[in-house]
Amino acid sequence: MAEQDYYLEMRSISKEFPGVKALDQVTLQVRPGTVHALMGENGAGKSTLMKCLFGIYKPDGGEIYLNGKKTEILSSSDALANGISMIHQELHPIPFRDVMENIWLGRFPMKGIGPFKFVDHSKMYRDTEDLFKQLDIDLKPDTLVGKLSVSKIQSIEIAKAVSFNSRIIVMDEPTSSLTGVEVEHLFRIIRDLKAKGVAIIYISHKMEEILRISDDVTIMRDGKKIGTWPAAEMTTDLIISKMVGRDLTHRFPERDNVPGDVILQAHDLTSPVDKSFKNVSFELRKGEILGIGGLVGAQRTELIEALFGLRELSAGSISIHGKKVKIKSPKDAMKYGLALLTEERRTTGIFPVLSVHENGAIANLDRYMTPYLLLNEKKKQTETNKMIEKLRTKTPNTKALIMNLSGGNQQKVLLARWLLTEPEILLLDEPTRGIDVGAKFEIYSIIADLARQGKSIIMISSEMPELLGMSDRIMVMSEGKMTGILDGETASEETIMRLAAQH
Amino acid sequence: MSTRRIQEMITHNAIYIVLVVLIIGIAIYDPSFIGINALRDVLNQSATRTIIALGVAFILITGGTDLSAGRMVGLTAVISASMLQIQDYPRRFFPGLADLPVIVPVLLAIAVGFLFGMINGLIVAKLRVPPFIATLGTMVIIYGVNSLYFDMDPNHSQPIGGLRPDFTKWWGSGSIGSGQYSIPYIVIIAIIVAIIVWVIFNKTRLGKNMYAIGGNEQAAKVSGINVSRNLIWIYSIAGALYGLAGVMEAARTGGATNNYGNMYELDAIAACVVGGVSTTGGIGTVPGVLTGVLIFTVINYGLTFIGVSPNWQLIIKGMIIIAAVAFDMRKYANKK
Amino acid sequence: MKKLSMVVLATSVLGAALAGCSSSGSGGSSTEPSVGVAIYKFDDTFMTGVRNSIEKNGKGIAKVEIVDSQNSQPTQNDKVDLFLTKNTKALVINPVDRTAAGVIIDKAKAKDTPVVFLNREPLPEDMKKWDKVYYVGAKAEESGTLEGGLVVDYWKAHPEADKNKDGVLQYVMLKGEQGHQDAELRTKYSIQAVEEAGIKVEKLAEDNANWDRVKGQEKMAAFLASHGDKIEAVFANNDDMALGAIEALKAGGYFTGGKYIPVVGVDATAPALQALSDGTMLGTVLNDANNQGKAAVTLASLLGQGKEITKESVGFDVTDKQYVWIPYKKITKDNMKDAQ
Repeated sequence: MAEQDYYLEMRSISKEFPGVKALDQVTLQVRPGTVHALMGENGAGKSTLMKCLFGIYKPDGGEIYLNGKKTEILSSSDALANGISMIHQELHPIPFRDVMENIWLGRFPMKGIGPFKFVDHSKMYRDTEDLFKQLDIDLKPDTLVGKLSVSKIQSIEIAKAVSFNSRIIVMDEPTSSLTGVEVEHLFRIIRDLKAKGVAIIYISHKMEEILRISDDVTIMRDGKKIGTWPAAEMTTDLIISKMVGRDLTHRFPERDNVPGDVILQAHDLTSPVDKSFKNVSFELRKGEILGIGGLVGAQRTELIEALFGLRELSAGSISIHGKKVKIKSPKDAMKYGLALLTEERRTTGIFPVLSVHENGAIANLDRYMTPYLLLNEKKKQTETNKMIEKLRTKTPNTKALIMNLSGGNQQKVLLARWLLTEPEILLLDEPTRGIDVGAKFEIYSIIADLARQGKSIIMISSEMPELLGMSDRIMVMSEGKMTGILDGETASEETIMRLAAQH
Repeated sequence: MSTRRIQEMITHNAIYIVLVVLIIGIAIYDPSFIGINALRDVLNQSATRTIIALGVAFILITGGTDLSAGRMVGLTAVISASMLQIQDYPRRFFPGLADLPVIVPVLLAIAVGFLFGMINGLIVAKLRVPPFIATLGTMVIIYGVNSLYFDMDPNHSQPIGGLRPDFTKWWGSGSIGSGQYSIPYIVIIAIIVAIIVWVIFNKTRLGKNMYAIGGNEQAAKVSGINVSRNLIWIYSIAGALYGLAGVMEAARTGGATNNYGNMYELDAIAACVVGGVSTTGGIGTVPGVLTGVLIFTVINYGLTFIGVSPNWQLIIKGMIIIAAVAFDMRKYANKK
Repeated sequence: MKKLSMVVLATSVLGAALAGCSSSGSGGSSTEPSVGVAIYKFDDTFMTGVRNSIEKNGKGIAKVEIVDSQNSQPTQNDKVDLFLTKNTKALVINPVDRTAAGVIIDKAKAKDTPVVFLNREPLPEDMKKWDKVYYVGAKAEESGTLEGGLVVDYWKAHPEADKNKDGVLQYVMLKGEQGHQDAELRTKYSIQAVEEAGIKVEKLAEDNANWDRVKGQEKMAAFLASHGDKIEAVFANNDDMALGAIEALKAGGYFTGGKYIPVVGVDATAPALQALSDGTMLGTVLNDANNQGKAAVTLASLLGQGKEITKESVGFDVTDKQYVWIPYKKITKDNMKDAQ
């Protein structure tokens, strides 16, 4: 490859945050008309690098060349003006505005004379229609974004990125909330863009996608570039070993839990909300890990949140130890020995500005209450900190703020929080989402350990290997209905997929 | 119509229904409430509040808040009054000042509002101070500035009176037409301002950006919007509106003291919130704000009209504020 | 959702219902003229006394409706508009700002509705705008004069009050808010009254205590610390500060075992009367809320009926055809009943 073949070159980019060297002399070279995958564990520096490219961060050192020309990018508008657009990892819709306003935000078509310029709504409508037609998106431009599903919003973000007619499009986890069909649709769009010579930088944790769609793969670790390889030469295991920096022989721990008697029976659970779960029945045994698989929108989260008293039921019954129970609030659920690790760790799990210790203790304060309405601080400290240590949480000390911990360690603190309530049944919603490959293994080990001790576990996961590797049985849902329960030993990705896509 | 449709209709038009029910309730008790004079009083008394509430709405929609609004009204009332006294008034603020064209002090007061609004905007956008704190600070500062000005020699904190009739008429108590069929000038000013603000909200880039910033500031930023510059403009425009309202309050009452405008911001925020403006940003319309203002004026005026004790009026006002927001939270909450 | 729409409806219906049942003070025969009263704010103690007097004395002569201007002139103007729209026959206005009277007079004149201003005196040029404008109030300087008189009476009756026998009255002064008209007038005229009675005075100390009891106590404690027993009398611009001073004096050993010092204030508040009966306060000056209210509502009633205003019909002296001056009263332990 000759030098001039690269449309984008980021040379020796460095970026330091207080106490952390986020990027250390990273170089990235992207050819036009290709998909360039950028991979690495969380915290490896992928997003920081892209934020430097998009003008959100200012690099401390290094240069950016576009089409061979040195370019300074100081703000997002600079980036857009230089033909770089980005689909952000965290979706950024403006909920109470319509689709077209979201797309043309910051560059509305204007009409008018002199200083009296007004937004040209009809042109904006037409432009949006054209764009959607071109991308085969079925949406009316004046729909309120707040009413759309996450995957529709995702497709608006994609349309928006395309509408800039950029030469480079950065896609940060673009498929995180897309269904299988929608992923295919996105890949079709990507192929069209490639054909037009657009360079795409593709960030994803999904190995299968990377191997399918990308031409080159750059792997980063700890703020450094490990290397760039043609995708054709890579395999999942190879990528993982380069990301983690060691060979991963086992992705999952040995499990030797033995499911016992039935502990929880759910019968005919139905939500009062129209498109949510309907007539779902299942059993959970003591010491069993029950996986729940399905696509986004299968209403799995809704189901287990209802089990935990966070959502209402319009019909159905729950029995624990053979006795019918009414669970109207998380407080009730905790009384019956349930614990819930929520999907959105950042928004519904951690209290970011509280210490690791307080985060661990919060669900269990009743136990440390003394008769004088004060807390027995000593007992609280000892028990909580012991549990946090037992899960081998990496933290400078338990007084550190939880927001400074990595995702995996935050998750361990949350697990500690719930284990302290001594639950019999743990509901885990995507327990390893956004967690590094290395830390995942530790979480798996904890889960396996808990099952061995006789705790019953329900685990929602969107990662097939995780479901297959960790579950005794796998319940699959589609569009609110249970479409089947598979045995963990004999199930395969294909059987799960078939049930997940069943209407 | 199905019950569901009816429910939806009620949900989306709740504030208008509240307004109508209030008016009907008052009219049942005293039919003379329905009449041109009472209508004119209600509009007249809504005029300045509308302008302040629209200013506050700008800021609420960006996800901010403005506690300095009332004090800014007070400052600009004092400034405009101090320069518009009649020549033979015994205690003139500026004893030697010649008669200025009315528009000069009026524009000056609006400019002062604009300037302090810009200061608010700079503090919020550039220093990244949360709007609640930033405007809490400027609220106190502006009151201090006003009191200093008000205490200047030879005035020494005396109420400013003796305002020129050409000022009090055009910007305060005068009307087009006469007797029964007259429209107060300040109502016309308020209507013009409401139309301009409606155009800004719906037809200009600034308006769209305002909704975007309030809806999701990060999204606005990554879409290439210069958030700081837009915020500074929005706070400045709001300040100019408070300035105009201050001028009108001085003209309407024929005087001013440094205590004018005290707590107006809370009335304005309440009117906006009842009118469906979200305090978390991103939502709000001009008709909503107007209705919110009218609801409070009808409560103030109508309940006094039929002799409800002022203490009960406060209780009713408080309940309406809470009910309105509880309702809105419901409307936008993720249905579980 | 259903529940909430009910809440909103219920709230507004409740509003209407309240309107139906809580309208008060509008009884009486139809020949009584309607009188609209706007008080500058309801939580002012003195004006509450005036308000009660208006209600009491208005019975049988007027249909009185009293509203709160919430210490805001624009609000008061709104209330005036409302009264005029309701064709009220006469207005009693206790202005928030006295300069705003001009605009109110213009409004009232346009609808030929007479106005009685109360307690805060409009500017003379505003009063001259129309002959159906009246003012009922007290002369602020008089409260100072009477306060000084209380000390004069005591000084003359008690030779031992001149503790150091130098023939000069050594005093301290607790002033109200800086720049407040009443504070300046009371300070000036109380001392002037003492001097005019032929008594030499020496000011040991003077400070602002902001009308406030706590501040009065703090300042008095400071005076005591620096001047001790040299102080022969304590003047306070109001009762609250006088009461604060008394607390400081008690802590300094006064009012027990024959150790005494005359303390005077203004307002005749309930705690002050208690102090009078305890013997800790020498005297206070009553701003006569009862007669202010009575004069205002009587005037308004007469004006509303288009009747002539004379000393006989009103029951009070009418000065310059537009002013009714209600005198202050000296209150001591002996005539406490008058203030209760």
